[in-house]
Amino acid sequence: MKWITGSPAVRETLRILLAVLAALLLGFIITCLVSKDPLNAYRAFLFGPLSRLNRIGDWLEESISLILLGLAVSIAFKAKQFSLGAEGQMAFGAMASGVVALFVPLPLFLRIPLALLAAALIGFLWGALPGYLKAYMNANEIVSTLMLNAIALRLYDYLLIFHIKPPGAGYNQSDSFPEEGILPSFMPPLPFWEETRRMLTNQMNLTVMLYIGVAAFLIAYYVMARTPFGYELRMVGENIKFAKYGGINTKRTIVLVFAVSGIFAGLAGAHLSLGVHQKLIANITVGLGFEGIVVAIMARNNPLFVPLAAFAYGYLRAGADIMERTSDVPREMILIVQAVIILLVTAEYVLPFIKQRIVKPEDSYLAEGDRHAA
Amino acid sequence: MTALVEMRNIVKVYPNGVVANDGTHFSVMRADIHALVGENGAGKSTLMKILYGMELPSSGEILLDGKKVRFHSAHDAIAAGIGMVHQNFMLVPSFSVAENIVLGQEPLRRGLVDQKRAEEISNELANQYGLKVDPKACVANLSVGMRQRVEILKTLYRGAQVLILDEPTAVLTPQETQDLFRAARTLIEQGKTIIFISHKLNEVKEIASYITVMRAGKTLGTFESASTTHKELARMMVGRDVLLETNRSSSERSAKVLEVKNLVCTSDSGKPILRNLSFNIYSGEILGIAGVEGNGQTELAEVLSGLRPAASGNALLHGKKILNQTPRRVREMGVAHIPEDRLKNGLALNVSVEENFIVDRYFHSPYRRGLGVQYKQVRALGKRLIDAYGIHTSSGAQMVSSLSGGNMQKVILAREFSAEPRLLIAAQPTRGVDVGSTEFIHARLIEQRSKGAAILLISADLSEVIKLADRILVLYEGENVGIFSDPARLTEETLGLYMLGIQKQTPEEMEAVL
Repeated sequence: MKWITGSPAVRETLRILLAVLAALLLGFIITCLVSKDPLNAYRAFLFGPLSRLNRIGDWLEESISLILLGLAVSIAFKAKQFSLGAEGQMAFGAMASGVVALFVPLPLFLRIPLALLAAALIGFLWGALPGYLKAYMNANEIVSTLMLNAIALRLYDYLLIFHIKPPGAGYNQSDSFPEEGILPSFMPPLPFWEETRRMLTNQMNLTVMLYIGVAAFLIAYYVMARTPFGYELRMVGENIKFAKYGGINTKRTIVLVFAVSGIFAGLAGAHLSLGVHQKLIANITVGLGFEGIVVAIMARNNPLFVPLAAFAYGYLRAGADIMERTSDVPREMILIVQAVIILLVTAEYVLPFIKQRIVKPEDSYLAEGDRHAA
Repeated sequence: MTALVEMRNIVKVYPNGVVANDGTHFSVMRADIHALVGENGAGKSTLMKILYGMELPSSGEILLDGKKVRFHSAHDAIAAGIGMVHQNFMLVPSFSVAENIVLGQEPLRRGLVDQKRAEEISNELANQYGLKVDPKACVANLSVGMRQRVEILKTLYRGAQVLILDEPTAVLTPQETQDLFRAARTLIEQGKTIIFISHKLNEVKEIASYITVMRAGKTLGTFESASTTHKELARMMVGRDVLLETNRSSSERSAKVLEVKNLVCTSDSGKPILRNLSFNIYSGEILGIAGVEGNGQTELAEVLSGLRPAASGNALLHGKKILNQTPRRVREMGVAHIPEDRLKNGLALNVSVEENFIVDRYFHSPYRRGLGVQYKQVRALGKRLIDAYGIHTSSGAQMVSSLSGGNMQKVILAREFSAEPRLLIAAQPTRGVDVGSTEFIHARLIEQRSKGAAILLISADLSEVIKLADRILVLYEGENVGIFSDPARLTEETLGLYMLGIQKQTPEEMEAVL
């Protein structure tokens, strides 16, 4: 066992996978209890997401959102700032990028970057607000972020219904974005794979956001592990008194942590509007912001493991969706699976042999994960 | 006479390969106070954790009253009559003393906790063993010494025959220590047995009848307290001769480094903590602050390091204002600070040793280049400081929480000293640190002084202040009540009179030595 438990990266990966596996097992038992045809229902849940190209696309698409949101939440949680504001920041990100996509007359290669920039900026600003309230006025961030979520979502509705939706339309959504305002496919139009590209783009809606997600992950990792800001963030999270004593401007750090977290949530919002829906719709976030918390907890606030957690958790969500459509088991079963995963990940003694036993010299902080996950 | 507790050939190897005990023998007679001494990391704590069932030995056996026992958890040990009072108390602060004592084995009445009975039990125990407590008092409001009593009563309530006290005096004032010793003697008279872990040799020789010395996981032998000397014990613990006296080269007063004038500081609730404090520290000088704890020492250190605002007054470092600046600004002006509470303020425990070194320098070169922190440089710094300060750790990437107390203190010292400060504020630099490390820390303080640093030494240990300081200032209720230029001629008794506010110098007398 030593070689497995020895490497922290392997250990963390195993831990995430084992938690998912155990949750799946429990999910199966529950399926057996509630379904007339448990085997088929469960097969839909387990293999559904891989059964067709479009389903694979759906899974990957949602995973990208989850990666961005998981990063947003990890950044805040790592600094022990329990921001629940991703939902609101995401709504604003969707709105800002949507407005650019709809109304700014620029060609694609300028309009999309501008839209993403707008989403990142509004996420930054809307995120900085609760950070400022926390750092300088000692306002509890859990309360303030939830309140600000409510404000953001209502504002989103107001703007959508009164200013953006076409006058006289009988539905609460914007026009579809013009071609220049939609994220292009993840495969650039190159002659040698034109066939494959057409086949894939017909089947699945996977956009360049895939690369932006990967870039976001790499940047978040680098920022947290290797930059002065990342150092400040971690010291504030580990021991804020030490940070203060050592000369770190803890107030500024806290504001920045919230704001930087907001950038990632804002980008997740842009993904929803520019990539997933390709228009602004009512209730565009559907609580996805809170799913970022599950991902962050699974990854123990360590950006390195956010993609794995996001893909695993995204898969479960996609599976539950398909199961609901093809069998008599409702998608709410995923809630149980989700609860079990959180339980297993936070209660590390449930999986004792994964428990950290060997402290190796090469253990860096990041591979160590956060032992005090939210 | 057979021993009450006997531990034979105990070997404990941790999974990471650290050998904490290496064939350790240890035996204790009934109704005796037996001290276990050794440097930090010598294996005392591990040995006691094994006895208390918190760790399983890799091999070896434990005999209790001649019978072989094997404890799998602290519950087993408690059931067998072994109790342990930890260094960090395990009490519920919001509960009353009585509730804490009976916690886990509450007397019940109709299914509910019988508060009255709990208080009676507490009183009975307190009277029986001479450990006076107020059963109704809330633990959060108690002094450290009182909390320790509660902790001892708690173990007695659970029927402990053998009490393990893990460095019980580290957190106590001299008076509280004497109270504890009195209580310990009462316990012995009543047939209890006490194992006393410590590295303060004075205390050990005063209280224990036998002393077992450990070094590097081995017991070097058990000695009758009366027939050994300080020096012998210290040598055995450290493995070489220890200079209990610090060589002090007399230093000449030169440039004024810090000038504090009429410093006033108030608590959050507006209560004055420092009143009109004025003093100077010169380059190459150690100014010792003496005083009963809680007379403004903590606040003085905080104000001067930028962690606490001053209400009025002035403090100039080489002529530049240092009051009410950010801690970083103050540090950049050349102030280093060894904080009083090192676990709370001085370290981030779940962070690597290296990253604890850079908190005051990660943002400038060579540690920062471009956007990132140069972790290569950080690693090099880690290696250098770990070597220079003899910090026992397998590497700089090790988390600080895995180090022993003395080594944690060395991490702080390494960081603060390597910043090459002009003013060094050292608050309780050797509290809870073993003999060898204390010697090391003293030598380093003196080295800093010879390099020309001005040092403000705040210590609850009067003998330390007298030994190291060039001048001593006595704080009483935040006020300067006396300042002395020749510590060698001072006695603890004289200082005591000032510390208790019985005597006070006139402003003219002070002026002469400011």
